[in-house]
Amino acid sequence: MGYLSKASKTLRQSNYLALLCNFNFNFNPLTNRITRERFPVRHELFCSQSRQYSTTTREKSTIDLSQYPPELVRNFSIIAHVDHGKSTLADRLLELTGTIKKGHGQPQYLDKLQVERERGITVKAQTATMFYKHSVNGDDFSDGKESPSFLLNLIDTPGHVDFSYEVSRSLAACQGVLLVVDAAQGVQAQTVANFYLAFESNLTIVPVINKIDQPTADPDRVKAQLKSMFDLDPNDALLTSAKTGEGLEQILPAVIERIPAPPGRRESPLRMLLLDSYYDEYKGVICHVAVVDGVLSKGDKISSAGTGQSYEALDVGIMHPELTPTGILLTGQVGYVVSGMRTTKEARVGDTIYHTRTSVEPLPGFKPAKHMVFSGLYPADGSDFEALNHAIERLTCNDASVSITKETSTALGLGFRCGFLGLLHMDVFHQRLEQEYGAHVISTVPTVPYTFEFSDGSKLEVQNPATLPSNPKQKVTACWEPTVIATIIIPSEYVGPVITLVSERRGQQLEYSFIDSQRVFMKYRLPLREIVVDFYNELKSITSGYASFDYEDSDYQQADLVKLDILLNGQPVDAMATIVHNTKAYRVGRELTEKLKTVIDRQMFEITIQAAIGSKIIARETISAMRKNVLAKCYGGDVTRKRKLLEKQKEGKKRMKRVGSVDIPQEAFHQLLKVS
Amino acid sequence: MLTPLMLLKSSFTPIFLVQTPKSKAQKLHHAFTKTFLTNSTPPVRHNASLNFATPPPASSAYIHLPFCRKRCHYCDFPIVALGSASTQTHHDPRVSNYIDWLCREITATKVDQPASTTPLQTVYFGGGTPSLVPPSMVSSVLESLRVKFGLCKDAEISMEMDPGTFGAEKMREMIALGVNRVSLGVQAFQEELLRACGRAHGVQEVHEAISVVKSCGVENWSIDLIASLPHQSCEMWEESLRLTIQSQPSHVSVYDLQIEQGTKFGRLYSPGEFPMPSETQSAEFYKMASRMLTDANYNHYEISSYCKSGYECKHNFIYWKNEPFYAFGLGSASFVGGLRYSRPRKVNDYINFVQNLEKGIVDSSGDGNINGKDTAMDVVMLSLRTAQGLDLKSFQESFGSSVVLSLLEAYKPYVESGLVVCLDEHRRTIIDDLDYSFWDKTNTEKRVAYIRLSDPEGFLLSNELIALAFGVIDSWKVSPQYQEAKST
Repeated sequence: MGYLSKASKTLRQSNYLALLCNFNFNFNPLTNRITRERFPVRHELFCSQSRQYSTTTREKSTIDLSQYPPELVRNFSIIAHVDHGKSTLADRLLELTGTIKKGHGQPQYLDKLQVERERGITVKAQTATMFYKHSVNGDDFSDGKESPSFLLNLIDTPGHVDFSYEVSRSLAACQGVLLVVDAAQGVQAQTVANFYLAFESNLTIVPVINKIDQPTADPDRVKAQLKSMFDLDPNDALLTSAKTGEGLEQILPAVIERIPAPPGRRESPLRMLLLDSYYDEYKGVICHVAVVDGVLSKGDKISSAGTGQSYEALDVGIMHPELTPTGILLTGQVGYVVSGMRTTKEARVGDTIYHTRTSVEPLPGFKPAKHMVFSGLYPADGSDFEALNHAIERLTCNDASVSITKETSTALGLGFRCGFLGLLHMDVFHQRLEQEYGAHVISTVPTVPYTFEFSDGSKLEVQNPATLPSNPKQKVTACWEPTVIATIIIPSEYVGPVITLVSERRGQQLEYSFIDSQRVFMKYRLPLREIVVDFYNELKSITSGYASFDYEDSDYQQADLVKLDILLNGQPVDAMATIVHNTKAYRVGRELTEKLKTVIDRQMFEITIQAAIGSKIIARETISAMRKNVLAKCYGGDVTRKRKLLEKQKEGKKRMKRVGSVDIPQEAFHQLLKVS
Repeated sequence: MLTPLMLLKSSFTPIFLVQTPKSKAQKLHHAFTKTFLTNSTPPVRHNASLNFATPPPASSAYIHLPFCRKRCHYCDFPIVALGSASTQTHHDPRVSNYIDWLCREITATKVDQPASTTPLQTVYFGGGTPSLVPPSMVSSVLESLRVKFGLCKDAEISMEMDPGTFGAEKMREMIALGVNRVSLGVQAFQEELLRACGRAHGVQEVHEAISVVKSCGVENWSIDLIASLPHQSCEMWEESLRLTIQSQPSHVSVYDLQIEQGTKFGRLYSPGEFPMPSETQSAEFYKMASRMLTDANYNHYEISSYCKSGYECKHNFIYWKNEPFYAFGLGSASFVGGLRYSRPRKVNDYINFVQNLEKGIVDSSGDGNINGKDTAMDVVMLSLRTAQGLDLKSFQESFGSSVVLSLLEAYKPYVESGLVVCLDEHRRTIIDDLDYSFWDKTNTEKRVAYIRLSDPEGFLLSNELIALAFGVIDSWKVSPQYQEAKST
């Protein structure tokens, strides 16, 4: 089922029409932009029609939220390791409650982004409101006549640790989670990480063992793991198959019965937690909010505790699953507010929103985003800077977790230094830039933020290795690098090679235990730098894909770091500079120069490629000068054919990046990413 | 048994075309083309002209005679293969019909600047294998030219001739018609190499042809060779060069073999991979030719051309000077009135073209409108192939000093590394002056008047260096005065 569900996700990517339609709900900046410029009004109409069609036909009358006091509300999230069936389960719950029609909705309903669908991951948190009749004390929940209707808010979260920022936002609005575990794969690294996030937030955890239809499913083993790892009662685990539908009927009753109602007070002054925000071409900024106390009505004047700005609640409603106006949101409910904010920068996630002219105690904010991976992004063609600038601006409207500063490289021209939450986040950002905005970028080798201390007491935070002087005037007295606590879960036969790999990466073992007879759980402290580029791929390849890996940020540690410069004919290439551990400098220097030798074309002069630490050359390669290129060609009277050939050659040169007189193909920068 | 020289001769010849044997389908197609394709295969138009002032009227003509006995393995040109037995072509209707159309094309062609028509000073019969065409038919072509344009008494009339396609008698007949320059397609002096290339002649015929040319008293003649053939060794190449020098031609052309897609060689070989010589070896061949021929008193006056003093091919120089020239026949490319015009490459299309020309529907000459950048690129590309190089003074007059400065700037590292050479007015190499004070009128001694590519290193990298110059011209902001000039 694991691979089946993956396959189906992949197949469905091709459903572009549905995708576009779906994007309208959230955003599809590219199509929106194009269409809007030409047919501003028509598009708006089209948009709202398609958006609200399903809901208006299904429920003619507007939803009266006042029928749902906190005790009839449940806010929950689903957390799981990647591919354990979280999104499919969410689809089934939405179908079960009639929120989307079976077979009509886009699979992975809540994963709106192309990148999410392609990779089978969730990047942006999403929310959907469902209504479900259930008699708390009765056995027969299908007999809905007497049963009260519950309002259930499913808050979908990203599974990957890079997005724990998003996870933590979502969890703050929940009182409980469904912890989904694949019945065959059992507890994996992200299961552990996500469990602890929920556990630390004091949420009720409902274990769901999913994919029990698989031939290799072993629910009992998984139950034992849940017990040993998390101390969860095996009897509490629900057994389901989101694919066949088996066991699904137990889930929502369990949500209602086990997860507590939201605790807020209706009579208190309004306090809302800002969960997320995104930019819509027409409505402006749309904020997802959880009403903690009080009531929000359309037309209310509201203020932000973070910025002090005041707004009017122009539109208020729930995501059911599309934006559905209700005019009101009550205590414990989760919905959206359109308030005329101009950019998502005004909508600080974790902010408290309250009624203007009341005084409230701000809610505890979320963990702010911490940028752990930095890379330079440059337009592939230098003249495209404006286009890239535009694309980045628009993308960050919906991904406020990226930090952007302009920078200049002698080799690559004008570009941006971008800070990301982690590797996947960086990857996803690149992919979205290319897919949604058609931007062609060259990205420099990712780096982590280092701190250098100098003998005069000054400190330098380095987000771009090029900014660290190669021959500093002041002696470096200490270097600090960020570390992570990595969780690795592997079948026991791979312990040997994994320990070798982790030691090569300067890892320090913190914990080693058996989850059960076959699986080992390890915790390591690793320098973030060592896992930034290719660690996960390596890990997967030496464990035949069986390893699961996750990490969380940890402290800085002191390390013997050096700046490694790459020089072409004596000229340093700023975009290729890296900071490496002293013990690895020689190997990395050799690898980089060897790699460059294979990707840089011969030119009319000899090219020396050097790797240097300060003024010390540690590796050197030479590309000999080109001896001859095509001489005679159809020529003489027929000048045009030769002309075309030479013009093609000229165009090729134009696409190159140049340092000194050396032309560097863009490919060189891509190749460098592959060398750790 | 004749063979086309074509590919190799590429430096000299316009495009050629293939005629494949006619199948039924093609005959049908032919019927259609007659009806519909009157405007088919729109010929490529390219604007260009050298001088913005008044370009000289065209006084050169290229005549394409596409017939070959068989196709050589390296040849990607459309040719008309007559079959291996065809040494006597008098009665071949494919030849006589073609000659008819060719003469009609000449007659129907609009004369460039009728007021100032000058008689032709050069005529070049290229192919194909022009020596396969009976002298009587060559005569009628020359007669058409004479009637149309006039023909100078001392005009250079060149003909490409292949060993094995002519004897002393035919040679004398050609001479009698006025042919006074022979370009002999020898290619190699090794039996195995000639066979491997699919040439229709052997070494014996090569020696015979050389002695026929010499005994008939042709003074101005060239031996054409190919370097970098598969399995060609240094020793073989040296032998070919030695035997060439021994034969004492007044001119030698050395062509570097190109592997073209769609040829037999293209299917068999990849450049630089065995049995093709490596890049280094191939560069060695080029250098060896340059060294041996220069030592034997030949001037290396163009990338692939060498000659005894005064025996430059005048016709080819017209191309390299970016001067106008007529062209007639299948696939040939002319340059008249600032327009580069390539004729259709298929016989049927060519016939349609001639008919349309006669009706006045098409015009192969331009109206004198030219584009500054295009012309600048052509001038740079063509002149840098020659030892004379680029004349900066006239280039500056045509295109302004900013582009000259940028060009010199871009070439600076290569002047330093010796690939590009700066020359003063008296064609003396400027060694020490790298600040290019070419506009400094007071110091003519140090003023850069010409830039050329060095021999052999610069010539070997000519594509690279010319492409670099293209980049400069491409990013040059053409000022209005140079943008759209009228040549007349």
